[in-house]
Amino acid sequence: MEEASRSDEPNRNPNTDRSSNPNPLSSIISSAHVWPTIDGPLGLTEEASVDYARRFYKFGFALLPWLWAVNCFYFWPVLRHSRAFPQIRNYVVRSAVGFSVFTSLLLAWALTFSLGGEQLFGPVWDKLVMYNVADRLGLSGLA
Amino acid sequence: MDRTQRPRSVLDSLGEELIGILTPVSICMFTVVLLVCLLNSDPSSSASFSSIATAAYSETDSDSPWDKLLGAFLNSLVFVAAITVATFLLVLLFYLRCVRFLKLYMGFSAFVVLANLGGEISVLLIDRFRLPVDSVTFSILLFNFSVVGVFAVFMSRFSILITQGYLVVIGVLVAYFFTMLPEWTTWVLLVALALYDLAAVLLPVGPLRLLVEMAISRDEDIPALVYEARPVIRDDSRLVQRRVWRDRRSSQNDDDLENNEVVNVVRAEEDEQRSEISVPLIERSRPESSETFLEGIGLGSSGAIKLGLGDFIFYSVLVGRAAMYDLMTVYACYLAIIAGLGVTLMLLSVYQKALPALPVSIMLGVVFYFLARLFLEVFVVQCSSNLVMF
Repeated sequence: MEEASRSDEPNRNPNTDRSSNPNPLSSIISSAHVWPTIDGPLGLTEEASVDYARRFYKFGFALLPWLWAVNCFYFWPVLRHSRAFPQIRNYVVRSAVGFSVFTSLLLAWALTFSLGGEQLFGPVWDKLVMYNVADRLGLSGLA
Repeated sequence: MDRTQRPRSVLDSLGEELIGILTPVSICMFTVVLLVCLLNSDPSSSASFSSIATAAYSETDSDSPWDKLLGAFLNSLVFVAAITVATFLLVLLFYLRCVRFLKLYMGFSAFVVLANLGGEISVLLIDRFRLPVDSVTFSILLFNFSVVGVFAVFMSRFSILITQGYLVVIGVLVAYFFTMLPEWTTWVLLVALALYDLAAVLLPVGPLRLLVEMAISRDEDIPALVYEARPVIRDDSRLVQRRVWRDRRSSQNDDDLENNEVVNVVRAEEDEQRSEISVPLIERSRPESSETFLEGIGLGSSGAIKLGLGDFIFYSVLVGRAAMYDLMTVYACYLAIIAGLGVTLMLLSVYQKALPALPVSIMLGVVFYFLARLFLEVFVVQCSSNLVMF
C-alpha cells in the first residue's frame, strides 16, 4: 500500500548513514545530535551503546578478532568524532588496536605457511595444510 | 487507502523498499549459482547427499521416469509432513511461552549452520582450488565467523548490515545443500512446499497463521530467522515514533506490532535431526499505536518489509538446480522469481497482512524452467549455431 507521505522530499538520511557519519536529522530530532552507531537513528542509544561496546570488547578476548572488527564497524561514528562519546571511544579504540595486532599476527603466520611451503617446514607442512587434514578427517565428502 | 500523494514520492519510497528486498534475494541466488558452478564439476556426485528429504526414496540413474516421479512424491510427502509437525511443535512452544528456549534454539541452529555447513563448503572450495591454508588459520577463521554470526542472529540490537549479511549467508549455505538433492525430488519438493506455504499461511487452521495471530494478540515477536529490510524513513515527523518504535523491546509502551512468522525447515544430516527456524513468509510490520492512526493513513510506511529466510532458501534452491542444467535456465528462472516476488509485494501492499511468498515465485520459476529447457534451448541453440543470434 502506498503510504501517504507528507514530506516534499524523501528523507534519505538513514541510507546515507550506512557509510558515513549520520547527518543530523533535519527538524524533529535535535539537529546537533550525533548517533553513536553506524545505523544512526535506527541503532542504539548512547547508554545502551556503552554496554554493547564493553561487551563486545570483553568477548573479543576469546580469540575473536572479527568481533573486535565488528565493534569498530558498528561504532564507526565514535571513531570519526574524537570528542563525542568518551566512554564508548575507550572500548572501541582498544578493540581496534586488538584487532590490528591479532590480524597482523595471524596474517604473518598464514603467509609464512602458504608461501614457505615445504621448503620451510618440511614434512609438517603436509600434515598441517587444510586439504590434507580434511581428507584425513573425511570432511571433504558430504553427508 | 489514501492515494493523494504525488507520484514521485510514491515511486521513490516504493522503489527503495523494493530494492531493499530484491537486492539480498538476488545476492543469495547469485552466490548459490556461483557455488554450484564452481563446485559441481561432475553431475553424478549428487546421489551421496542424504537427508530427510531423501528418506523415502533415493534416486538412482537406472530407475524409470515413473519410478523416479513416484519416489519424488514420496520424498516430498515425508518432508512436508516433517515440516508440518515441526511447525505445529513451534506453535505449541510459542503458545506455552517458551520464547527463551526458541531463541536459544535459533542461535544454536544458526551456529550449526554456519560452523558445520560453512565449514564443509569452505573445505570443498579449498579442495577445489588447492589453497594452501593451514588448519590453525582455518579453524580460527571459521570459529570467528560462526560466533559472530550467532551474535548477529541472537542479539536483538545489532548492526543492521551485518545481521542482514549473515542471514543471507545462512540462506546461501542451506540452499547450496538443498541443491544436492536428487533432481526429481527437488522439483516435486519445491512445488509441494509452495502448496504447503499457501495452506499454512492462508487457511485458518494453518500453523503459520496461528502463529501470526498469537503474536499479534500478545504483541510479541516470534523468534525466527527473518530478513528485515532497512526501514525507509519517509517523513520527519515519523522519526520520533520510529525511534520509540524501535525501542519497543525495552518495554516502552509504544505498541508496535511486528509479526515474525516461523516455519521449521527440518533437515536430517547423517542421522541427526536439526531443525532450523526459517520463514517462507513475507509481511510488512505495521505500528498500530493510536498516534499513527490519528496522524495518517500511511501505516505501512514506517514498517519494514520482512521476508522469511525459507523464501531465500527455496528461491536459491530453484535457481541453483536450474544452474545445474545450463545458465540459460538460470536467467529464465531468475526473472520468473523476481517477477513473482514483485507480484507478492504488490499483493502485500493491497492486503496488508502476512502472505506466503513462495507460491507465486516457485510456480512461475518451475514453469519457466521447464519451458526454457524444453523449448527455449532448442530455439537458441539453432539460432546460435546458424549465427543468427548469440
